[in-house]
Amino acid sequence: MDRNKILQTIRKNKAQAAPLPKTFSTPEEEPKKLLDRFKEILQQVGGECFDVKGAENLNLFVEEHFPGAKDFRKKETWEKYPPGCGKEELSQLGAVILEAQFGVAENGAVWMDESNFPNRLVPFIAEKLVVCLDSEQICGNMHTAYSRLGNRTNGFGVFVSGPSKTADIEQNLVLGAHGAKEYFVVLF
Amino acid sequence: MTGHAHKAGQFLKNGERASWHDETLWIVRQKRDKMARAVPEWESLREQASQIKQHTLSELDNYLIQFEQQAVKNGVQVHWAANAGGFNEIVSGIIKENNARKVVKSKSMLTEECGLNPFLEKQGVEVTDTDLGERIIQFRDEPPSHIVMPAIHLKKEEISELFHEKLHTEKGNSDPAYLTAAARLHLRQKFLEAEVAITGVNFAVAETGAVVVCTNEGNADMGVHAAPVQIHCVGIEKIIPRMEDLGVFTRLLARSATGQPVTAYTSHYLAPKPGGQMHIVIVDNGRSQHLGKEDYRNALKCIRCGACMNTCPVYRKSGGHSYGSVIPGPIGSILAPHTNSKKYKDLPFASSLCGSCSNVCPVKIDIHDQLYRWRQDLSEKKIVSPGKRATMKVAGKVLSGSRMYDLSGKMARWGIKNLPRMFIYNRLNVWGKGRELPEIPKESFKQWYKKTHQGKGGKNGQE
Repeated sequence: MDRNKILQTIRKNKAQAAPLPKTFSTPEEEPKKLLDRFKEILQQVGGECFDVKGAENLNLFVEEHFPGAKDFRKKETWEKYPPGCGKEELSQLGAVILEAQFGVAENGAVWMDESNFPNRLVPFIAEKLVVCLDSEQICGNMHTAYSRLGNRTNGFGVFVSGPSKTADIEQNLVLGAHGAKEYFVVLF
Repeated sequence: MTGHAHKAGQFLKNGERASWHDETLWIVRQKRDKMARAVPEWESLREQASQIKQHTLSELDNYLIQFEQQAVKNGVQVHWAANAGGFNEIVSGIIKENNARKVVKSKSMLTEECGLNPFLEKQGVEVTDTDLGERIIQFRDEPPSHIVMPAIHLKKEEISELFHEKLHTEKGNSDPAYLTAAARLHLRQKFLEAEVAITGVNFAVAETGAVVVCTNEGNADMGVHAAPVQIHCVGIEKIIPRMEDLGVFTRLLARSATGQPVTAYTSHYLAPKPGGQMHIVIVDNGRSQHLGKEDYRNALKCIRCGACMNTCPVYRKSGGHSYGSVIPGPIGSILAPHTNSKKYKDLPFASSLCGSCSNVCPVKIDIHDQLYRWRQDLSEKKIVSPGKRATMKVAGKVLSGSRMYDLSGKMARWGIKNLPRMFIYNRLNVWGKGRELPEIPKESFKQWYKKTHQGKGGKNGQE
């Protein structure tokens, strides 16, 4: 009932036809510039960046730097924390390692969706979030990011840019409001 | 004398706080400027955003239907609410069906507008606002004073005192990091206990049925993914056509709001989690009526970034609570009179019409023009206060004839110089409250011009 009432009022009142503007695009920059920019902005948003320069160096680096972290790139970790697993158990997650699909240079964000974690809470409930990212998978801005995503309709996906933060007390920046207190991107 | 002016006066009584408020919001405005200038295509982005919204408002019915179809296809339950009452009933119905008692909610101005919290609380539901600023004002039982920074009117010492009482933090410890950590622990418990999570929505994409929520704290995601039932509340004007349009809006939103390149989390909810329920409630509550007012339609483009508040000299010096409307500041002043023009009659006058709000608006709403239009409309409908009406009438007479104008000028120049102070600064001179008149010149511009340009210049002073 409400549905029809709303739609009818809209039909009566809506604006004159105006065209939908064409896709907004910007010139793509060269990869090296994008990588540098990504690193720079990531620091500005409170993240820390490592560049191990090569996939062959990744696992060793991660094991050495984040000992004990739950590595969600591994099948056994997925099995340990399935979609229906208890919240209490998830809240015990200290550091987690995830793989991101691509990064965005202009804001230091990375894209992850349900194919990167077994349970949607994982990237948010962990105290420390470590994201592995292929350094060739960095696009310039959010236009290229969304054109890359297309209409992919995974149940849930997120751009993460830095650790969880708040400035609600007198505009003082505090890291770790509800989500990860520390945030790292390991480029390979 | 009027509601806003009176409450602004209360706010200004604490000069130190008022100055702090003013300066702090100006810093946010400057951060916004820095971000905007770093994007060379900023102005065309604003134009693009404005046009996308313009188009959407001209096809709103079709996009809403498309959005609904897509969402249903994704396994989402879609509800429609014509007004606040209907909305509250729908949300409370979902909570009851699930025998839920504990609800967490992330920031949503729409639920503020509809009075959802008090409605649910009356039914014995515990609603916890999970954004830190919102939790603070919920503890204080007061409304947000800013749509992005809800507790910007408070000093850390007050929050420390409040947390000491509510969360038993150390007395006198007002370190923001310490207080935030205490809130994190307290709210973590609420997230784990909650049976239903409610969020607002920044953007709803017709093409895919996605709802997008932007937060810095991660509170929307903590709530949504931890609770078995998730409810997203969206105003009809939040629809955008395509996924690619998110590229435009996510570039503008955080830069305009807080001067960040993007929020820490930009979450896209499309389908319920395995074994969970996902509901979307589409709310009208006066928006479809507003859509029919051509002169004011643009205001429906608003993406709630708050940039107009941060830049507004009146907002910065009077505080958000002085407006008395759900959404304060310039955008609130053009939205609120649509809901109740008598109650909010003074808001369009709470502006210097400097136009800064329109200049920073990421979707190019003609805010200051609409403020001016409201003044005219309210005056025509005789809704403005009697004092203001009488003044305007006199001013209209004086300013419309040159003889009357010259005479009044002479009288004023003589009067201000020679009359005792109480004749000028009294109850009737609202303007003179807190303001001093400048020194009065001996002659008018016209007299001066005649004297110095005698013989030169044509009728209008041109050669």
